[in-house]
Amino acid sequence: MTTIAEKTKDLVRVDKRDGKLALAHIYVAFIALAIGGLCGLLQTLVRSGTFTLPWGIGYYQILTIHGVLLGLILTTYFIFGFQIAVVSRTSGTLTDKQRLLGWIGFWTMTIGTTASSIMILLNEASVLYTFYAPLQAHWIFYAGLALVIVGTWIGGAGLISKYVEWRKANPGQPSPLLTFMVVVNLAMWIICSLGVAVEVLFQLLPWSLGWVDKVDVLLSRTLFWYFGHPLVYFWLLPAYMVWYAIIPKIIGGKIFSDSLARLSFMLFLLFSIPVGFHHQLTEPGISSFWKFLQVVLTLMVVIPSLLTAFSMFATFEIRGRALGGKGVLGWFKELPWGDARFFAPFVGMVAFIPAGAGGIINASHQMNQLIHNTIWVTGHFHLTVATTVLLTFFGAAYWLIPHLTGRVFTKQMNRLAIIQTIVWAFGMSIMSGAMHIVGLFGAPRRSDFSTYGGSAQATEWIPYQIAQAVGGTILFIGIVLILYIVANLIWFAPKGETEFPVAEVSEHAEKTPMALENWKIWLTICIALILFAYTVPVIEIIQNAPPGSIGYKLW
Amino acid sequence: MSKKREKEPDLKGTLYSVGFLGIFILVTWFMAFYLFIDRF
Repeated sequence: MTTIAEKTKDLVRVDKRDGKLALAHIYVAFIALAIGGLCGLLQTLVRSGTFTLPWGIGYYQILTIHGVLLGLILTTYFIFGFQIAVVSRTSGTLTDKQRLLGWIGFWTMTIGTTASSIMILLNEASVLYTFYAPLQAHWIFYAGLALVIVGTWIGGAGLISKYVEWRKANPGQPSPLLTFMVVVNLAMWIICSLGVAVEVLFQLLPWSLGWVDKVDVLLSRTLFWYFGHPLVYFWLLPAYMVWYAIIPKIIGGKIFSDSLARLSFMLFLLFSIPVGFHHQLTEPGISSFWKFLQVVLTLMVVIPSLLTAFSMFATFEIRGRALGGKGVLGWFKELPWGDARFFAPFVGMVAFIPAGAGGIINASHQMNQLIHNTIWVTGHFHLTVATTVLLTFFGAAYWLIPHLTGRVFTKQMNRLAIIQTIVWAFGMSIMSGAMHIVGLFGAPRRSDFSTYGGSAQATEWIPYQIAQAVGGTILFIGIVLILYIVANLIWFAPKGETEFPVAEVSEHAEKTPMALENWKIWLTICIALILFAYTVPVIEIIQNAPPGSIGYKLW
Repeated sequence: MSKKREKEPDLKGTLYSVGFLGIFILVTWFMAFYLFIDRF
């Protein structure tokens, strides 16, 4: 006979069948981390000028593997695994149909990933993770990426259907915060990935199949960045889910405000999409008025970002004071620094301060010339996605994986995870710091080692490239450590129960207004902003299109 | 979620922390801006 306590426990445990689906995604994510991370190490070694790749492997080939596997595959798979677990935990076990959609999505994504990866390994697709035309990959590479996107739509549909089911069963009530956040992230993802789907289906596939000779490069890049910028928020929002709704529980506190968290997510939905031009600020063919408009919309993202910062500081301060912290900043010392589930995401938050400041510089219209196409940009997104997002995901893995595998996160593993975080932060400070500085000296991104014919300026870059290799090597040690921890949590850790932490809302918080969950309002504003920011410039791009370009294979 | 808040939490540290963040953003932005004006 089951007791009430056991029944309650069941409510907070992710159903085994849902857990299996989530874990399948997480396995692929960490396999991608292993392969992509090794390629990252090799890149930094090549760029230091002291190492040559063996067996005719090209620099741009490993650069493509690194970008695709870490930027696109690791992130997407971890996010889906995490989101499946979160929805199942907060809105209830998925129905068989919803779970089936999850599995169909998973296999569609995995067939696509395998197809694209094979093409890169065969050196048929060294076009980097942004796959800009007129570099032309084998058509199977594009078809594979299209399948990854379609797979996410199918899996996403299962999760959205759970949310709809919950809302129908609980009329007039705000949905569970974490499920709501997942649905915002999925809405953003579906709206933005339509752009890249159009690019791949109507431009790159017919062109790489030889059905058409030429491609409109500017249009393809515009469609890519319509997707590419929200893509970075698709990485970031799951990290924010952990910060807003899980970290407070880990530190023993409460969510500062449910409404503030929901408002900030809705603002991200609005201001993440109509902003792709800030990646194209130096591009001819887009009039400066539309660039300016999208710069303004981009800078609006500062508002939800600072709302988040405020909310996190407030959560920490209230908890630190409850633990006896005195003075203006004394509460800081009281936080659980020895708990890797808190420490890793916290270091990620700290990294977001310079990352965010750098992002504002990048997006500041003409000032973008200072850093455009320099390795500063690489340094920037290694702070955002490869530190802020990744350390938060690692922090989540420390409870999510053992929760799903029915094991425990031991003290030894916790200690190793703290060391892993420090190693990561140290390696990244060196690598990303060197990238930022030498980027300001003009060192280009996306380029193999070269002395540029013995140019004096390029000689100045070399010490920083060696620093990048040092940082990259330390980061690789960090990858080995995290893979060891993850393997332990999957196969070797002692069996037992691990909590899936979900925080409660503070008693000081106001009641959540239902308007924040009125999708008619928010999706209408979202689509109106996109149409406003993109319609006229896209018409201009098509009407005034220069002659298209044939495909190039420069590797 | 109480309807009436008897005691507001003390958030002085949060105010200073967010203030520091704002100043950091402004200082780095103006440093980059100075470099931009100097070069272009």
